[in-house]
Amino acid sequence: MAVGGIIKGKRVTLRTPTEDDLGAYNRWMADMRVRHLARVWHEPAMPTTWKERLTEQTKDRDSVLWSIESEGALIGMVRIQFGWDNRQRAWIDQCVIDPTRWRKGLASDAMLALHRYLFDYLDLQRVNTTVRADNAAACRIADRLGYSEFAHGHEVFYRDGAYVDEIWLMMERATWDERWPKEREYQPMGNATTPPRSGPD
Amino acid sequence: MFGPRLDGGQGTIIRPPTREDYDTFVTWQLVPEVTRFWGPRFISRTPAETEERFKKDGESQTSISWSIAYQEETVGFTGLFDIDWVSRDGETGIFIGRHELYGKGIASEAVRLRMAYIWNELGLRRTHNWIALPNRGSWRANQKSGYAQIGTYPRSWFRSGEWVDEWLGEAFPHTFPKGNLPPPWRDDSSRGK
Repeated sequence: MAVGGIIKGKRVTLRTPTEDDLGAYNRWMADMRVRHLARVWHEPAMPTTWKERLTEQTKDRDSVLWSIESEGALIGMVRIQFGWDNRQRAWIDQCVIDPTRWRKGLASDAMLALHRYLFDYLDLQRVNTTVRADNAAACRIADRLGYSEFAHGHEVFYRDGAYVDEIWLMMERATWDERWPKEREYQPMGNATTPPRSGPD
Repeated sequence: MFGPRLDGGQGTIIRPPTREDYDTFVTWQLVPEVTRFWGPRFISRTPAETEERFKKDGESQTSISWSIAYQEETVGFTGLFDIDWVSRDGETGIFIGRHELYGKGIASEAVRLRMAYIWNELGLRRTHNWIALPNRGSWRANQKSGYAQIGTYPRSWFRSGEWVDEWLGEAFPHTFPKGNLPPPWRDDSSRGK
């Protein structure tokens, strides 16, 4: 667990994070455009601190981190956290796209690919997340995927001189199956699973 | 960090936990009567890890932990966790580990003391929590100190053949009942003068 393998979207690929990615992570965490929209994973820090954080993440059995690539370039990161008492559930803890790549549909593509992996490969039964109420792009992506609101916190985050609400969202496996029936990690094999007979007829 | 000692009514106090309390906390989490709405009832923590947890909690800058004592005996724990010092928000929790003491108002008193400290000494402006919906005693204890429901998380726990929803709540300084302030914030000595 801990650091993720490859998950392919249409235009993005989620892949295992490396130490070479950490400079970009640091830059994103220091970017006020990112910080206004979401809680950062870690505060900006020295390169050695980031290496220690990646090592800790690699050892963590309760969460998984991926870097996101598009056209061979690092463009973001995403992290999930499993439920503390229920491994069939997870929380989307972080999803950061480089601000220079915003409004190109890359986050939407990455999230669809990630949810396909979570439901169709890990067989999770529910995925949860929280978004700041003024994060219109995140709200739109969540709505498209099939998330529904189950709680609304008032004046939760302070940024840009004011407080903003927090929306708590969840999506059940049944919703995923209904809305995205064709999203599969692999093509179904049907009945073609019988081993070929080895001898002559 | 550990919270300071605060004395409430009817023999209930919250106080800094001791190392021995942490051993007791572990044993409570293995008892069926008090884990209906708490965790998996197994534990993988060695004594050395409990020691480390005690040390970490004491050093933490983003959490405050208290033991709850009733008539001078430790009976539970409470605290404030994941404090966001910029947004001045945190998550609260409470656990009474002695089921024979349920219904005596100990949780209500511990929550009152905890929330009074949070609002009057820490300068926080919001707290939030999760409580199993059938755990009426717990969410009522929190309601009495100003918590209000902000949502319901469906099918959170599976117990004895049925799913249990969870109550999500939030509280603010202005939702704390003004007449409920305990000492030292309510100065009884000046009353009636």
